[in-house]
Amino acid sequence: MNPRLARSLTRLYPRAWRDRYGEEFEAFLETHPSTLQAVGDVVGSAFHARVCLLDAFTMDSRQRSLVMMTYAYLAAAAGVNFYFSVDDTPLAEAMRSHAALSMSFRLVAKSSFLAFATVVAVAVPVAFRMLRVAFTERRWDVVGRLAVPPAAALITVAWMAAASIWTGTHWVPMPWDVAGDWNAPADWPPLGVRWPLGAVTFVLLVVGLVASAISVAQAISRSDLTRHRPLWLKITSVTLAGSIVLMALGVVAWGWFAERDASEGFHARNGGLFVSTSFASWTASCAVFVMSVVIALRGAGAAIAVQGGSTRS
Amino acid sequence: MLASLADGPKHGHAMIQDIFEMCGTRLGPGTLYGAIARLERQRLIEPLDLEERRQPYRITADGRRVLRAKLATLHQFARAGLRKLEAR
Repeated sequence: MNPRLARSLTRLYPRAWRDRYGEEFEAFLETHPSTLQAVGDVVGSAFHARVCLLDAFTMDSRQRSLVMMTYAYLAAAAGVNFYFSVDDTPLAEAMRSHAALSMSFRLVAKSSFLAFATVVAVAVPVAFRMLRVAFTERRWDVVGRLAVPPAAALITVAWMAAASIWTGTHWVPMPWDVAGDWNAPADWPPLGVRWPLGAVTFVLLVVGLVASAISVAQAISRSDLTRHRPLWLKITSVTLAGSIVLMALGVVAWGWFAERDASEGFHARNGGLFVSTSFASWTASCAVFVMSVVIALRGAGAAIAVQGGSTRS
Repeated sequence: MLASLADGPKHGHAMIQDIFEMCGTRLGPGTLYGAIARLERQRLIEPLDLEERRQPYRITADGRRVLRAKLATLHQFARAGLRKLEAR
């Protein structure tokens, strides 16, 4: 592996990890074959280290809680794609005729609104304070990292607008608009065009979510948040964890009722990405939600541990 | 990894090769260092002095104890499984 790539990959790991293993890991990578599999393995491990090794960071409980809330919410937002994966499939009809199925679906929707409102309630004052301090103290490293989420959103929206203009239609490329089991509106491009354009949007969304999570976590770890009110942090983190638990319960219940009441539609191949089934989407959502619940509960635990001042552990 | 280090200290590439020969699985660089970090945090392995930018690791006394217990459980499990298989 060339030294430049080895250095770039090593920089994906958290600073505390790099301080201990960075030099030897970089030297190790330089002598390792540069395969796609090896790069993927390092990227996955670095992400895992960022999510799971927060205890090893030199962050206080307040920062750790905020980072975990960010990760948990972004994971839940990814999992909520389940919401979009079923409302245009044969299961939409089943949801109209089976109350339990529709109720669990609504539970996911309502809880996701509660989670969003909670995140706004905690993110606005924290982001405002971080930006104010960063501009006052000329901490451009923090400003740059806080700019990543809006930049990622802007790039994705610009791509979708450009693709829509390029196809000359009213269709905007969305990953869930590639299912082949229903008749698309007449002014949409054919499935062969929608598929690659939707896939690009999917990649942009995933990369944007991961980059935003990492950059916001770095910005939080570099900011002094000791003046942020602990009570507000505790209330919002517990509410967020509660809403994510409700979303997860809704998703699990929805799958159970779908299997019971509409098994045929649940397992039917819908012609979407990889000619998948709603069952496959549901299974993937469950895995993401389990991860999100674990992180959210750890975040709430860290917030509850916050005392009046800074709590280092 | 503990089994790989049981017969002496090794650096990353030697561990990957040894593990591949033992069980047919080739660890990626990220997976290897994720395991190294975890085992070192649990004090089951420890680093030695650098050798030309290569970092060797060795198993600790605690590591040997944990490895022995795990291997004994696996051995017992394998024997019980084989016994059941042969009883049919």
